[in-house]
Amino acid sequence: MQRRHLLAAGGTLALAGLVRPARAAWTPSRPIEFVAHNGPGSGPDVFARALISAIEQDKIYEGRMQVANRVGGGGATAMNYIMERRGDPHVVGVWTSLWMSLPLVQAEARSQVTDMTAIARVAIEPAVVIVRGDSPYRSLADFIEAAKARPGQVRQSGGSPTARDALVRQLLMAHTGARWAFISFPSGGERMSALLGGHVDMMIAEPAEIREQVRAGRLRILATATATRLPLLPDVPTLAEAGFPINDVIQARGLVAPPGIPEEAVAFYGDLFRRMSEGPAWAKYVEDNQLQSAFLSPADTAAFFRDYQVQLRDVLQTGGVRLAR
Amino acid sequence: METFAALGHGFAVALQPVNLFWCFVGCFLGTIVGVLPGLGPAATIALLLPLTFGMDPTGGVIMLAGIYFGAKYGGSTTSILLNIPGEASSVVTCLDGYQMARKGRGGAALGIAAIASFVAGTFGIVALTLLAPPIAEFALSFSSPEYFALMVLGLSLVVVLGGSSLLKALLSLLFGLWLTSIGTDLFTSQSRFTFGSSFLLGGIDFMVIAVGVFAIAGVMESIRAREENTPIPVPNRLRELMPSWAELKACRFAFLNGSVTGFIVGVLPGAGSAIASFIAYGVEKAVSRHPEKFGTGVPEGVAAPEGANNADSGGAMVPLLTLGIPGGGSTAILLSALVVWGVKPGPLMMTESPEVFWGLIASLYIGSVMLLVMNLPLVPLFAQILRIPVYVLFPLIFGLALVGAFGVSDNPMNLMLLAGFGLLGYVMAQFGFPPAPLILGFVLGDAMERAVRQSLTMSMGDPAILVERPLSAVMLGLAVLVLISPLLGRLLRRRRAGATA
Repeated sequence: MQRRHLLAAGGTLALAGLVRPARAAWTPSRPIEFVAHNGPGSGPDVFARALISAIEQDKIYEGRMQVANRVGGGGATAMNYIMERRGDPHVVGVWTSLWMSLPLVQAEARSQVTDMTAIARVAIEPAVVIVRGDSPYRSLADFIEAAKARPGQVRQSGGSPTARDALVRQLLMAHTGARWAFISFPSGGERMSALLGGHVDMMIAEPAEIREQVRAGRLRILATATATRLPLLPDVPTLAEAGFPINDVIQARGLVAPPGIPEEAVAFYGDLFRRMSEGPAWAKYVEDNQLQSAFLSPADTAAFFRDYQVQLRDVLQTGGVRLAR
Repeated sequence: METFAALGHGFAVALQPVNLFWCFVGCFLGTIVGVLPGLGPAATIALLLPLTFGMDPTGGVIMLAGIYFGAKYGGSTTSILLNIPGEASSVVTCLDGYQMARKGRGGAALGIAAIASFVAGTFGIVALTLLAPPIAEFALSFSSPEYFALMVLGLSLVVVLGGSSLLKALLSLLFGLWLTSIGTDLFTSQSRFTFGSSFLLGGIDFMVIAVGVFAIAGVMESIRAREENTPIPVPNRLRELMPSWAELKACRFAFLNGSVTGFIVGVLPGAGSAIASFIAYGVEKAVSRHPEKFGTGVPEGVAAPEGANNADSGGAMVPLLTLGIPGGGSTAILLSALVVWGVKPGPLMMTESPEVFWGLIASLYIGSVMLLVMNLPLVPLFAQILRIPVYVLFPLIFGLALVGAFGVSDNPMNLMLLAGFGLLGYVMAQFGFPPAPLILGFVLGDAMERAVRQSLTMSMGDPAILVERPLSAVMLGLAVLVLISPLLGRLLRRRRAGATA
């Protein structure tokens, strides 16, 4: 009788030992909140909804997921929110390159991605160098020559000085010694209008926003600002192939979690987004929007953050942008 | 001719019962969500977008068009009835719309807003149908100096927008210009006037300022004036809830002005419908025979801005459909939605997929009619809100204003700012400072600063670029005329007084 009890007890212990790894696997007990740093309809919001929809369509995780728009501070409010939720494993932030550049140039933006828990990088947004369809510049070399001949008079339309298009310009100018003007516009539509109207000579854009204009012959692609050629543009050379081997400035998107969340939760999210990035729904989204699927594990994403900020600091300093830290 | 045949085919598609139904659903939901303050057209479209997923492409696109138009329609209701601007482009509507409501003409103001929206909205679609490609090329010829001149022309309207004292109006404008510079500077990525607060890095949301200085300050002023003794009269008879013939006749020019101004500004990427509504109101007051009555509840003061912000919708479709360029937030989200449906707006859309292009335009026509038919019967219903006694109405306005301000960003900081701007608006009213110039400065100042800096970068610092292009020179000349018009008016009056003496 007693022996049987002991045996049973021993069995339970053994069972507990066997079960431990399975019980340690963390799963969410509440809805997961995807924090976007801008309002409904904005780029980060649309991207966050696309992630959720891809996960749902491929049935990778069936619990509830919702987008929370933490608007304000040009992104700082969302980043502060992630830092404030220390230890909460039910919140993920949808980061863009802005999350890395903002604290570098703004003293007020105190939250850093490097202090958060890296979860994943999921996509890279490629970029192309474009001119008007009737432009005299047939190649990037033509453009650079023109900029050298008339310093400051050749113009590029773009966004803020910390955005990718400005960084690529800095690197190209440092590499070639040419100088051209950079005219900032707040929206892609205005940048494109300035180019199509002939008020500027060049622009660095994402392939999805210029596809139709290129097909109609209103725009011409000179090069892709990517490491390798884009599958949809097999005839367009990369910057290096066009004769300008500068460092690739990656514009990426991915996810972070608040600092201090359990290891098991990190593993859960790493696995979730890896499986999402291998699914058909994500593949379709990436193709429709001409992105590149580029999953990185939590550890590799943390390394990516560090390397990117080092590169960013370097390029911004060369370009004369005042750094806050 | 080809245009009409293609458009006819478009109508055949859009008039199918099932598509009519989706158009109705889109218009209805767009209006309802658009009525909520703080939810502008872009946010409304984004929130309702998932509803169209899983539908067939034609129905989905038609429903989207309905949502887009409906969302623009809904903004005027709270402006007129509660003095809460429903969205940026309905701020000017508060000036005369709310005063009409206080005089018992709330129903009439709503009716005029609906009719003006229909007339100007339809004008915008007709112009889109007939003139899209050449107008799009014209919009492309606008460079930074032209945008600068347009914004200066808009800012010069301060002399007509202000009340009795030009000096107070100018001070109010300057304060608006300062407020708009708060945040991150696009050109240098450096912060300005954030006082160390990371929240202010993104600047102050326009809705928070507008709702504060209009709705909150308005309620505080009413409480100070002990208004509970004079309830707002609401007529009982249905006929008196509708605009009278005299009121409609007074709006004849406003319909035209709103249509043309709204469409032209709408075509320009980055200009926005708030600017269109301000310019239409300013023009209306400038050419009016009784400018002194503006701000006391004249129907033209409602018709011009409401017309302009709906003609703007048709105008904004021009660069979107012919060039693939989204001019603002709501067309950007529309573009991404169309791409999901496999519709590719751009230079080739008209020739490669005419059935989608013309089907979309036909559904805009139908949506415009549907909105009028749907909204007019709602007017008497909405007008009943004014029957609510002030001890319920004022807390209701406060509540809606708080929800609106919180809704823009889910951030409690906005509630503090809202209270601050409410207090500011109240103090300004006590000392006779008009709030409209502050809003004007805030809306146009940012765009003007950008345009002047873009221009100077283009010319490598030579300011001549601002005046040597013909179009910008003409607009700057007009702005100067507007600015000196009070002086001229005074001179003329003095001369006339001298002649009669």
